[in-house]
Amino acid sequence: MSEGGAATAGLFFDLGGRIAQTLVRLNAAREVTVGCSAKQPVWSRGKTTLYRYLPLTAIAPPERAQHARGGRVRARPGSARPAPVLICFALVNRPYVLDLQPDISLVRRLLEAGLTVYLIDWGDADDADRGCDLEHYVERALGGCVEHVRGAHAGAVNLLGVCQGGVLSLIYTALHPRQVRNLVTLTTAVDFQTPDDLLSKWVRGVDTELIARCGNLPGAALNALFLALMPFRLTQQKYVRLLLSGADQRAVEEFVRLERWIFDSPPQAAAALTQYLRWFYQENSLVRGTLEIGGRAVNLKQIRQPLLNLYAAADHIVPAAACAVMGRHVGSRDYTGCAIDTGHIGMYVSRRAREEIPARIIAWLRARS
Amino acid sequence: MSTPFTTGPFKPEAMFAGAAAGFYELLKAFGPQGAAAPDLNSLSRALGAQLEQWLKSSQAPGPSFWGSPPLAAGAGFVPTTATGSAPDARATWDLLMRLAQLQTQLSAQWGEIASGCAQRFAARAGALGAGALTPESALKLYELWVDCAEEAYAERVRSEEFASLQGQLANTTAELLLLQRRQAEQLARAFGLPTREEIEGLERQLRELREELEESSGARRAPRTQPRPKPRPKPHPKPRPRAAPARRAARRRGRRPRA
Repeated sequence: MSEGGAATAGLFFDLGGRIAQTLVRLNAAREVTVGCSAKQPVWSRGKTTLYRYLPLTAIAPPERAQHARGGRVRARPGSARPAPVLICFALVNRPYVLDLQPDISLVRRLLEAGLTVYLIDWGDADDADRGCDLEHYVERALGGCVEHVRGAHAGAVNLLGVCQGGVLSLIYTALHPRQVRNLVTLTTAVDFQTPDDLLSKWVRGVDTELIARCGNLPGAALNALFLALMPFRLTQQKYVRLLLSGADQRAVEEFVRLERWIFDSPPQAAAALTQYLRWFYQENSLVRGTLEIGGRAVNLKQIRQPLLNLYAAADHIVPAAACAVMGRHVGSRDYTGCAIDTGHIGMYVSRRAREEIPARIIAWLRARS
Repeated sequence: MSTPFTTGPFKPEAMFAGAAAGFYELLKAFGPQGAAAPDLNSLSRALGAQLEQWLKSSQAPGPSFWGSPPLAAGAGFVPTTATGSAPDARATWDLLMRLAQLQTQLSAQWGEIASGCAQRFAARAGALGAGALTPESALKLYELWVDCAEEAYAERVRSEEFASLQGQLANTTAELLLLQRRQAEQLARAFGLPTREEIEGLERQLRELREELEESSGARRAPRTQPRPKPRPKPHPKPRPRAAPARRAARRRGRRPRA
């Protein structure tokens, strides 16, 4: 055998060993748990459940301080505590990615900063929910959650909208500006027809009336749609990188946690989904000012409260250009837009997500508490 | 084989095994000399053919993400007048033919992507230099291959032609699904079974009732899923000292015993 042939044989032998070892680790990590912070349900309507995270009393203060890089958020003079943070996640994914594991958890960082954190879980739409439309999600579900939190804390809330949840949060804030003290948006599009928006191109020719009659969209179909945006990287390359990275059991478990989230899209209520496609992707009504929810015009200029808009510079789902223009469309004079050097999922789980994003949010809220 | 358009239950080890097998095959194609193989063009063409096959295998359900694929696409469903009216059966055939045409067009798109990827790879792989395959050089070749594939894919799927095809596929699939549901409804009626339409009516009523109940109750209570606080264990009742027999007898008579 030639020298090159022997080296190649060695490579294949090594590769076989790595594949076997990684498969064993993946199997061992199959039942890995997701979500790490204690929370309790405090309100529900339909499939929507509002959770309140329990304070991190069990963690020793020095450790908490070390994690809370943005410092602790102190209350305004005269008020007892800083306003609670209500996280409104997307309908198309599960919110536990914000609390994946102790060191990858935006929720935990906020708790460490002394904030009270609430999170909305939209649940799984079933056939009885196929008629649930965007008005239901904005007014009844999100609106109900805000009312509950306001009732519990006697004051306006800090609303943190993530991805599609950011769009719902913008709509809610525009319709009910007095209920929201500060608004934070993460990877939130306002212009749904930027040239690099592949999803927008794909759905423009879809007959939404016809699709709505087919019923709810299964979560697996959504997963497939997202993977199809970059199929080679998302269904091949990341596994090969895992193979060659020599990942230990802990790294494999982290990988599996994220995989579980990626493949765990909930079913979508037909009415809300098709309205979302038509009104945003096809009609771009948010920036054109033609959106109406429940018969009320949604005018983003009504959003006058402080607004922090964080988005990913290399986002393959919600392009940076779709988010970056938010400042032009809202009425807020205290607007901060910031591109983070990562991708869409990186906004939740990357090293930046672990440090820079929570620190920015905490510092920004602290300055406005 | 895992494809961009088929996802089932969560099985990371299956996805991993599929990707690892693909990587293994790719390395075999590179051979001992890696990218310095004598005929880079024929190697690229062979790899392009593999890629096209992979993309085509994804075509079965169509990149139509809207709802389940119609029965006809997966189970060889043949419309007959037994499951519906003659016009319905004809309409089903027409839609099936339309779907087949669209899938042929989609297949041509996959071919374009594969050849675009192969051309890009042939143009760039030589720059990686000669030498035997090592883990590092194998990874570089693989990453280059993925970059070329994604670029060729992005160029094609961002075109107006592809977007229009997507829309048509989604709409045709939906139309076919609705037509087949209508036929199934007729069959259900014939057997006296509840139809989708009736169930939807009930679901609507149920939702309206739930909403009315929530509105009228006003109180927004914690959901049922909330773990109820455990009832405090009752303190063990202290054993009462037994009354003296005379006192017990007096109590039964309703008067205090004399001291």
